[in-house]
Amino acid sequence: MKTVAIDPITLEVIWNRLISVVNEQAAALIHSSFTTVVREAGDLSAGVFDRSGNMIAQSVTGTPGHINTMANCVKNYVVPNHPIDSLQAGDTLITNDPWEASGHLFDLTIVSPVYYKGRGVAWFASTCHAVDIGGLTMGGDAAELYEEGLAIPLMKLFSAGEPNAVLFELIRANVRVPDQVIGDIYAQQVGNNVGAKKLIELLDEYDLPDIEAVAQMILDRTETAVRSAVRDVPDGTYTSEVMIDGFDAPVKIACAVTVVGDELKVDYAGTSPQVDRGINVVMNYTHAYTTYTLMATLAPGIPNNEGAFRPVHVTAPEGSILNCTRPAPVSARHLIGHFVSQPILAALSQVVPQQVIANGSAGLWNTMLNGKLADGTPFAYVYFSAGGMGAGPNRDGLSATAFPSGIMGVPVEAIETAAPVLMHRRVLRQDSGGAGEFRGGLGQEMALEILTGQPANHSCMYDRTTYPAEGLNEGQSGAVGEVVLSDGTHPHPKSHYLLQPGQHVVLKLPGGGGFNSPLRRDPQRVAEDVRQGYVSLERAEADYGVIIDPNTMQVDAVATQARRREMTT
Amino acid sequence: MILAVDIGGTFTDIVLLDTTTQQIAVEKVLTTYPDPAVAVLDGIRALIANAGVAPEAIAYVVHGTTLITNTLIERKGAPTALLTTAGFRDALEIGNEGRYDMYDLALVKPAPLVERRLRFDVPERVTADGSVRQALDTAALQDLCGQLYDEGINAVAICFLHAFTNPAHEIEAREVVQKLLPDVAISVSHQVAPGMREYPRTSTTVANAYVQPITERYMARVEDGLRASGVEAPLNIMLSSGGTTTVEAASAFPIRLVESGPSGGALAGVYWGAQVGHSDVLAFDMGGTTAKAVLTKHGDLTITNQSEVAHVHRFKRGSGLPLMVPMIELIEIGAGGGSIAHLNNLGLPTVGPQSAGSTPGPAAYSRGGTEPTVTDADLLIGYLNPDYFADGTIKLDVDAARTAYESLAESLNLAVDRMARGVHELVNENMAAAARVHAAERGLEIRRYSMVATGGAGPVHACGVAEKLGLKRVIVPPLAGVGSAFGFMTAPISFDFTRSYVSKLDALNLDEINAILDDLEREGRGIVEAAGVPPGDVQVQLSIDMRYVGQGYEVRVPFTKQTLTPAHITQMQAAFEAEYKQFYGQLANGVPIEAVNWRIVIASPKPEIGRLALVADESQPDAAYTSRPVIFTADDEATDTPVYRRDALSAAWQADGPLIIEEAASTTVVLPGWAARVDASGCLVLTQKEHKS
Repeated sequence: MKTVAIDPITLEVIWNRLISVVNEQAAALIHSSFTTVVREAGDLSAGVFDRSGNMIAQSVTGTPGHINTMANCVKNYVVPNHPIDSLQAGDTLITNDPWEASGHLFDLTIVSPVYYKGRGVAWFASTCHAVDIGGLTMGGDAAELYEEGLAIPLMKLFSAGEPNAVLFELIRANVRVPDQVIGDIYAQQVGNNVGAKKLIELLDEYDLPDIEAVAQMILDRTETAVRSAVRDVPDGTYTSEVMIDGFDAPVKIACAVTVVGDELKVDYAGTSPQVDRGINVVMNYTHAYTTYTLMATLAPGIPNNEGAFRPVHVTAPEGSILNCTRPAPVSARHLIGHFVSQPILAALSQVVPQQVIANGSAGLWNTMLNGKLADGTPFAYVYFSAGGMGAGPNRDGLSATAFPSGIMGVPVEAIETAAPVLMHRRVLRQDSGGAGEFRGGLGQEMALEILTGQPANHSCMYDRTTYPAEGLNEGQSGAVGEVVLSDGTHPHPKSHYLLQPGQHVVLKLPGGGGFNSPLRRDPQRVAEDVRQGYVSLERAEADYGVIIDPNTMQVDAVATQARRREMTT
Repeated sequence: MILAVDIGGTFTDIVLLDTTTQQIAVEKVLTTYPDPAVAVLDGIRALIANAGVAPEAIAYVVHGTTLITNTLIERKGAPTALLTTAGFRDALEIGNEGRYDMYDLALVKPAPLVERRLRFDVPERVTADGSVRQALDTAALQDLCGQLYDEGINAVAICFLHAFTNPAHEIEAREVVQKLLPDVAISVSHQVAPGMREYPRTSTTVANAYVQPITERYMARVEDGLRASGVEAPLNIMLSSGGTTTVEAASAFPIRLVESGPSGGALAGVYWGAQVGHSDVLAFDMGGTTAKAVLTKHGDLTITNQSEVAHVHRFKRGSGLPLMVPMIELIEIGAGGGSIAHLNNLGLPTVGPQSAGSTPGPAAYSRGGTEPTVTDADLLIGYLNPDYFADGTIKLDVDAARTAYESLAESLNLAVDRMARGVHELVNENMAAAARVHAAERGLEIRRYSMVATGGAGPVHACGVAEKLGLKRVIVPPLAGVGSAFGFMTAPISFDFTRSYVSKLDALNLDEINAILDDLEREGRGIVEAAGVPPGDVQVQLSIDMRYVGQGYEVRVPFTKQTLTPAHITQMQAAFEAEYKQFYGQLANGVPIEAVNWRIVIASPKPEIGRLALVADESQPDAAYTSRPVIFTADDEATDTPVYRRDALSAAWQADGPLIIEEAASTTVVLPGWAARVDASGCLVLTQKEHKS
């Protein structure tokens, strides 16, 4: 086997090609997918790995909970159990083990080895959210994992190109919408095959035996760049904690970020213990959102691969809600998992305030509806929605935008076409953005009704209904969220209930926190927010100390100055 | 006599074709701001005078413009209001709730074209199946009109939920607004963008309303100017879908004009491909700051209904305003001759998207630029001639280019030549990667395509990009400087409508769908016949977007427009399966198939532009006029390479690469392993002789 000298230019060319290859993999997957969860919400990840399972490149689509957990799954679970030389062309492995993969049974991780000139050279993997996996549907209600659906230990999905018929039958028998679930499994396989084909073309073109040398260089360069970014952060330990609603009782997430030279440690000691509800987070998922938040804050331009993870060490006490042990229920783990971003941002704000944003709604609001249509056929539908993001040190927060999750919302017309519901409104929530020199993003409000003429099950997965997103540096908190029925009652925000025909359920999503004192906000910007309806006249005065003439909608400069002086003292 | 005008950002190109002699005359003038009509009219007058043509001899005028795109980018449109279903006025701002760059905490989203206080709720509701749940509250709407008047609104967009399924309320609302505010331009979503998904539909409708008043005024000025110049021929406007239409239809749907320039370029690609005998073409245009590519299959442009305009970050998908109108599928990356090479935060070389543009330009221009650019790299490896660039108007300074590359090369411990060749290759790889992913997203096999290379830097990089994509043939057409305007001439008069009508094939209500298709045909015929196409010449094409139930992306299947009967349903299924299999390799047998969108294209026959009188006679000398060392290979050894002048090559000429062919507008580099010849059409045709292993 000849060795090929790879200079920085060749490395960049081949690296770009690898990124193009995983994008082609993702394109093929998305195109042949059968579900809106994958296509419209983009709830998937795709990547290429070297022989030993180091993730080298990921597609531009995807969400952190999938990408980084997939990376750990391939390296620490798939490859140790099935070294590439023990498999053959046409083999594909599958698992949904929450602890080893991405934290709940819904996510199917499908991994295929690639062979070139008779030798294993790489892996392609993708993780997609299956629309159903049996069990109690998505939500936090289970007391143990066993209630949450079908568990698939790491096993072959295809052997030498032949489907594992027993497994396919088993899956088909365990899920509510088998055509969609099986269809998406095939779509993931199509993606892996496209990736493999394009990788082999690359090896041919550059006359490479494999991607080991290139991978090594990519990982080393990435690691060096991340270390250099970490070195810019002053040494020290920065701590923070946030409270979130939890299921039956509030949950505390405590974190200590320690910087020593070019290494970074995040420890979650002091975090609440795991609970008997499906909101527990496995270590892999905690790790994923931790590294994502650190990368986005400290090293945003650096690619996300195995090399980026090397200088970062994440720990959480075993048995805590961020490192739960089997057989804890985990179905709605994002409800807690998305929040690890929050104390990290708050901790880092103490040392790199210009690089962070204030806390935001953080947890996606997942609405799951299932029941029977008027003609008796069953339906199940889930969609995700976003509240407001926190403000930055020099800009307002984004309204109704998902963070840290990378998913997208679903249009009302798509929801109403796919599910028997009517949306009565979907508007930005006035005054929900935390006041500050830079205002937090607004949450949104939607009102829903079921159209089947019979009750439907509404499974709620909503947080920040008690504990708001806090502002930074005297910025105020965003509004808390609320779930309320037309009769004025409040369903449990993390359980399920029967939505009656004719009844409306109103979802009020939380807003993001503000940045810096609201008294520093330019009164003209406050007045503009009032004219546009983002802020009410009353809150302009109460929170910002800005007096606006309700007739002209102009700032009363003298009165404002006086009011602000009063508020400062 | 056909006249074509293309307004670009810098130049306005005007081309006149004498259809009897097949002679072409060309005029290039600087685009004028703020009123581009000035340059158009001055240029036409000059061209007509120079060519000695009587203005009344011009039978047909076709025009494309970047006016609409610029208005959207610069946000200089009319004061616009949006009327929506009550409770949904924020759809325009809530958008897709996603972030287009996951790692950018300082991400900026494009601001809606209509601020929140000018977005109004109108009580009404249609449900997903098209039934009316709440009647339109016309009294409330009338009150709103008073408010719109007080606000000085010039344009109104109306977008109600599910209006693409049942447009009755939008039609009624338009009537009310029209009556009370007769001077206001009105855009309704079921006409502008009749497809599902309220965010992109609203965004498109709003953008259309926003540019409507300015477009109307501009079109009227150009028409008046033409008449004043003595040109009596009807004015046709180039659409972004590759057809042309009347001024009236263009003024009603100006958002359909957004990418008219590139669609002209792609049409030119199709024309030249056909002249050489190839119908699957990758039109590749590389200029100073960007490279664009378009794939055309069987001579048809690939048209998408999902695109964006006015991006926050020009090359970041998702950072623009979404548009849902038929538009050519365009790949654009920030890699042109002026793109700057630099080290990224990983210490690796990267090219663009920052560009030195034409001012100060590449270091070799000696106009103050010191950054290493792609043009500097092309010069250093010998692809460009320092003494003959841009028709000799710019003298390239090799030493300045070398100086610009020295520190970059040093920081990577590489020789300057290796660095320069590397940058050249990186740009090629970036362009190839963009084309590759684009093809993958559409399930196209790109290797079968022939590249048509244009733009100043296109033919310099064409062979390199082609090799990376596995293309075997590159065509370098003549008239490279006015490619888009020439392409306009080959565009048929056409208009198309896409109607969402979702139904399983086996449950298709044939009466309903036949009625819809007949309506669309009638409406389209009206527009196309108004442009002067005899009814007997009008062609009607139907295509149906189909998918397996549950999927969200459709496969476009052409089908003969006719009165559909139950027998056709089996044929539709077979046609879908054939296309699907080609895309994805395997069918999802047993899953029902549904039709989603029905697209009708009403068109005139394509104008017959025959072979142009361009090729020099064979008495000319064909010999290379000089030679120079050029670096082609990975070992960075220079090869002494013969250099030709394109205008000195006759129709019979052919030679094996490596060689270089220079012309005023560009330089064609023929790599080792490729052969070049002059085609009877006037094109240079480069063919890869053997497949590299």
